[in-house]
Amino acid sequence: MSAVAVRASTTEPAVRIADLGMVYPGGVRALEGVDLEVGEGEFLAILGLSGSGKSTLLRCINRLIDPTEGKVWIFGREITDLGGGEIRRLRRQVAMIFQQFNLVRRQTVLTNVLAGSLGRCRLLPSLMLSFPQSERDRALQNLERVGLGDRAGSRADTLSGGQQQRVAVARALMQEPRLILADEPVASLDPALRHSVMRHIEALNREEGLTVICSLHDIDLVERYATRLVALRDGHLVWEGMPGDFDRETFKEIYGEDAEPASKTGF
Amino acid sequence: MVAAANHSAGGNGWRKVLARLQAIGIDAVLIATALLMVELLVMAFSGRRGPTGLLLSAEEILDLLHYGWAALAGLALANFWHLFHRWLGPTPARALVVGVPESERDLEWTHTLRGWFAAVFIELTFFAGWLITELDLFAFLTKFSKAADIVRGLAHPSASVLHEGLVLLVQTIFLAFMATAFAIPVAFVLAFPSARNLTRGSAAARLAYTVSRTFMNFVRAVEPLVWALIFISWVGIGPFAGVLALWVHSVAALTKLYSEQIESIDNGPMDAIKATGAGTLQVLRYGVVPQVIPPFLSFTIYRWDINVRMSTIIGFVGGGGIGYILKPRVDLGEWGEVGTLVLLIAGTVWLMDIISAKIRERIV
Repeated sequence: MSAVAVRASTTEPAVRIADLGMVYPGGVRALEGVDLEVGEGEFLAILGLSGSGKSTLLRCINRLIDPTEGKVWIFGREITDLGGGEIRRLRRQVAMIFQQFNLVRRQTVLTNVLAGSLGRCRLLPSLMLSFPQSERDRALQNLERVGLGDRAGSRADTLSGGQQQRVAVARALMQEPRLILADEPVASLDPALRHSVMRHIEALNREEGLTVICSLHDIDLVERYATRLVALRDGHLVWEGMPGDFDRETFKEIYGEDAEPASKTGF
Repeated sequence: MVAAANHSAGGNGWRKVLARLQAIGIDAVLIATALLMVELLVMAFSGRRGPTGLLLSAEEILDLLHYGWAALAGLALANFWHLFHRWLGPTPARALVVGVPESERDLEWTHTLRGWFAAVFIELTFFAGWLITELDLFAFLTKFSKAADIVRGLAHPSASVLHEGLVLLVQTIFLAFMATAFAIPVAFVLAFPSARNLTRGSAAARLAYTVSRTFMNFVRAVEPLVWALIFISWVGIGPFAGVLALWVHSVAALTKLYSEQIESIDNGPMDAIKATGAGTLQVLRYGVVPQVIPPFLSFTIYRWDINVRMSTIIGFVGGGGIGYILKPRVDLGEWGEVGTLVLLIAGTVWLMDIISAKIRERIV
C-alpha cells in the first residue's frame, strides 16, 4: 500500500456518492440525483444500456470527469473539490480498467505495466522511461500474475485483445490500489475470453479484498462475479439488488420493453 | 402542369399569368448572363488589343460587351424554353416561381435555380480571375520563339559552372538540414500548448494556446524571403542567414503540423495514464508522445525536403546556397550555366523526394 493511503475509519464505505449529477458542456445530462454507497470489499456491478451514464459515473469517482452536482467520498474523504496534486495522490489508490484497454500501443508491455507506478516515481527519471529496479521487479511479478511474464518485452499492440486487457489489469495492480473501477472491461473481447480477464479482477476482489466497481452488460458475468448490482437508466439509479434478485421484470425495467436477455440464465 | 395548378390553388388566372411572367423574367436574366459570359470568353481568347496596343483591360472588355443583344436573346430563349418545357425540361426559375411536381424535384443542377446561380457564380469568379491576372492566351500560344533561346540554353547545360554548383548544392542541402534540425526541438515544445485538446483545462492553458497559435500564424504569414532579408542584415550575407530564415519558417510550419497531429490522437491512453495518478508531464510523456513520434518524424523529413527546395530561392537574396550563383546568371542571360544549375537542383529535389517518401513509408 502506498505511503499516502487515506486510511479513514474502517466503518466508512469505500465509496459514498450523494446526489451526483453531471451535465456535459453541450447540455447533455448524463447523471441525475445518484445516491450510492459501496462498502469495502464489495464487487459492485453497474448495469444499464449504452449511454445510461455508467462510464460517466465511474469517471466521476476518480475525477477523470468533474461532476457538476453532488458529492463523492472515497474512503471517507470528500474528493469533489480536491485540487490537482491531491487528486493525483487519490488516483494512485483508485485504478481504472477501460473497455478499449488504453495501453500505450507503441511501448513495451513492461513499460505499460510500469506506467501504473508513475504516481509514486520521481519525475525526471520517469520522463526518460527509467524506473527503479524494485518497480521493475514488481511489474514483472504482476505480469506473471496475469500469465504474461514471457511477453514483457513485446510491443503492446502485438498482443491479442484479451492479453492487452490482462496487461491493463497488471498496470492497475502496479498502482497497489484499494479500489478498482472497471468500465466494460470485457465488452470488446471475444466472449470466450471474457472469463480470462474477469477471473483476474475477481481474484483481486476475493483474495486481496479490493473493492471493485465494474460496469457490465453481460448478465451471465454479473451473476457470476458481482456481490451486489445497481442499474442506471437515463442517468438515474433505477434498481439495486443482489445477483439472485435479477429477474425478467427487472430486466425489462432496466433495458426497456423491447429488450430480450441474450444470455441463457433462463428467467 | 399539375404542380402549377396546385401551387395557385383557387384558380386565380391572373396570378398564374403573373407567376409565369416572373419565371420567364428570371430565366431571361440567367440566360442573358450566360451569353455575356460566352462573349467575355471569346474576347479574352481572341487576344484583342485596345488602342494602346496592350491587352484589353477588364474595364474595356466590360464596356465592349453587347448587353442589349444578350438581353433580347435571353428573353427570346427564355420564352422558347417555357413554350417547350415539356420537351426541354423545366426551366431554372419554374422550380421557384411556378413550382414543380414532387417527381421532378430532385433534378439535375441545370434545371434548378440554385444550380444556375452556383454555375454563374463559379463562372464569374473564373472570369474575374482571368481579367485580374491579365491572362493572355494569345501571347501564350503564338510568342514562344522569344523564349526559345532560354529553353535551348537550358537544354544545353554548360560544364563551366558544374564544380561551383556542386559545392553550393552541398551547402544548400546542409543549410536545409540545419534549419530543420534546429526547428525540431522548438516546434516540439511549442506544439503542446498549440494543441486544442491539451489546453482546455484552465484559463492559463487557454491563454497559452491563443498566444502560441497567434504567434505561429504571424510567423508563418511572413514569407521566408522576408525572414532572409531580416537575417541578412542581422548576421550578414551567407548561408547562416539562410539557415535562420528557414529555421524560423520551419518552426512555425512544424508547430502547426505537430499540434494538429497531437489534436488527432486517441485520448484513451491519456485517460489511462491520468487515472494512475501521473502528473501532467508524465501524462504527456506516456499518453501523448508515443502516439505522435512516427507522424512527427514523417512531417520533419517532409519539411527537410521542402527546405531544400526553398533554400534555392533564399539564395536569390543572399541567403547562401545554390540560388546565390543562380541569380546573377539569370540576370546576365547565361542560359547554359543556368541550365546546369537548374538540373542540379531538379536532380536533388527528385532524389530528396524519393528518399523522404521511402523513409516515411517505413515509419508510418
